[in-house]
Amino acid sequence: MSGDGCVAIASDTRLGQQYQTIAMDVPRMFKMHDRLFLGLTGLYTDTQTLYNLFKFKLSMYKMREGREISPETFANLVSSTLYEKRFGPYFTEPIVVGLDKDNKPYLCGMDLLGALACEPDFVTLGTSTEMLLGACETFYRENMNEDQLFEVVSQTLMMATDRDCLSGWGGVVHIISKEGITTKTIKTRQD
Amino acid sequence: MMDFGTPVLEPGSANGTKQVPQFNPYQDNGGTVASIAGDDYVIVAADTRFTLGYSIPTRKISRVLKINDKVMLGTAGMQADTCALHKVISTRMRMYEHDNNKRMTFNAVSQMLSTVLYYKRFFPYYTFNIVAGLDDKGEGWVCGYDAIGSFEQRKIVCNGAGTKLMQPVFDNQVDWAQSWDGAGKPNLSLEQATDLMKDAFTSAAEREITVGDTLQIYKITKDGIQLEEFELKKD
Amino acid sequence: MFGGQDSKQHTVQPYVTGTSVIGLKCADGVVLGADTLVSYGSLAKNRKTSRLMTVSNHCSLGFSGEYSDFQEIKSTLEELMISEYCMADNIPMQPRAIHQYLARVMYEARNKQDPLYNQLVIGGVLPATGEGYLGLVDLLGTNYESEMIATGYGTYIALPLLRKAYRPDITVAEGRKVIEDCLRVLYYRDARSIDTVQISTVTKEGAETTEPFKLETSWDFKKFKAGSRLIDESTW
Repeated sequence: MSGDGCVAIASDTRLGQQYQTIAMDVPRMFKMHDRLFLGLTGLYTDTQTLYNLFKFKLSMYKMREGREISPETFANLVSSTLYEKRFGPYFTEPIVVGLDKDNKPYLCGMDLLGALACEPDFVTLGTSTEMLLGACETFYRENMNEDQLFEVVSQTLMMATDRDCLSGWGGVVHIISKEGITTKTIKTRQD
Repeated sequence: MMDFGTPVLEPGSANGTKQVPQFNPYQDNGGTVASIAGDDYVIVAADTRFTLGYSIPTRKISRVLKINDKVMLGTAGMQADTCALHKVISTRMRMYEHDNNKRMTFNAVSQMLSTVLYYKRFFPYYTFNIVAGLDDKGEGWVCGYDAIGSFEQRKIVCNGAGTKLMQPVFDNQVDWAQSWDGAGKPNLSLEQATDLMKDAFTSAAEREITVGDTLQIYKITKDGIQLEEFELKKD
Repeated sequence: MFGGQDSKQHTVQPYVTGTSVIGLKCADGVVLGADTLVSYGSLAKNRKTSRLMTVSNHCSLGFSGEYSDFQEIKSTLEELMISEYCMADNIPMQPRAIHQYLARVMYEARNKQDPLYNQLVIGGVLPATGEGYLGLVDLLGTNYESEMIATGYGTYIALPLLRKAYRPDITVAEGRKVIEDCLRVLYYRDARSIDTVQISTVTKEGAETTEPFKLETSWDFKKFKAGSRLIDESTW
């Protein structure tokens, strides 16, 4: 979700195999650099593979270009990487979140084939995407500051994951602003 | 447009060369109903959009049935089954009043709806119902049902297409479900509940194609039932 | 047609069909319109069938879908009207009553998995006030009342035009023109229609259905002549 000069990304930390919970502390959001996060929902093996792949691609980019990649460029990179596997895709749906060089928030969600959907306000993906959408739609306001943004993001995440049996077991929120990254862990219903 | 349903392989066609279409007796006409109950009121809200696939045959379909001054029934899902169900319930209510010389109470209606739905267990009404009303003590309650009559009495219920979008919002704002210790849980007044309902439906109308047009909000209090109509997005 | 192993035959798909019916509710009555074609797949089988029926002095009905099922409905309604006449109570049957009766008939058939494969448009006036009533019933028993109704391709082509033209104070005379225009557009774009149409108007004075008449059509439109795929132009 975007705010005024800041942007937040949040996810739950449950790993499950259908109804069996296997782990309660898996990271699903990865810091690509100080102003860019990649969130990956879906099949966890693909999440791990893609994270490693993009870590490598960004290192190469940094070496060649001598600078950090911008969020928009990275989103396009993710999109084309996913589309390369058009007929045997990665079963993950990524969210790319970051601040561009003017500290303007950049948010973008994709489906498993890489179709980009760039939004100015918020993007939701995962098993409880509809519940998140309804909650975000109701509580989002433009130009929130960091504290308000954190409040809204954490409440909407909890609201939606409480109604989804496949999500939950704790949450993590990262807020990116020009000052840096703040990470907060939320204690949710442990069920 | 006519729906021929999924083709069924004709028995005896070994490699499936002949396909016979089968009639599908069900259709989803969209819609959402929701209700919030307070200490001395209940509000029932339903949108009036009637959808058929991606078309909108009409923007003004009523989804709520007034059972009596204290109880209302809201139904989302297939319109033909909704109409039939409402007629059955109205008739049963009138028979009850004739037989027992008293109005049906909220608990009686909720139980009756459950059995009526279960009678059609093996060819269900494609309906998602809520029964909302004031009980004998004047306290507001709502019951939410699935298509075959399983129900639970609660204070807030959503049913229909926009449920997934709206239920978390109600959990948070009415039940205070995400609060650590439940301190400061608000006791919503009728006006606050109505405003919350309008907000929730407005959000649902943004993201769900079958929700929109007009919102009919019925407010049930000891003084009777009032209707308020609120315009939603028509796109 | 055979729908399964059992020997009883159920309607599974329509064979001889009528295309769209459209209706508009006006301040002083209702107007219904339909063409006079029943098709057998892509064959234009009978080009002079009446798809509009006058039910009573205050009610008209149009059908789309299977012709034989409509004939069944027609005889049911005629029986209904005869028993109404025999009651001789001077209380004419309201269009809403006919609408709900048909809804129950259609729903009953659907419950037996043997539907009457039609979408019926019922247009009438309340005999006392002359206020219009327009409703639809379909093969599943879905029924609703609205100011403007269309079935089949009409929902995509005619309904937006009817919605645009509708005003609460529109008269039957103006409504008739709107319906005729919509039928013309339907003729241009629906491949299973013809240009011979009938229009039924119901007012306080009574229900009348015109004789079939030919629509004036023009095939001179630039986009029809030029064809598709012009740069920035399309026949859509």
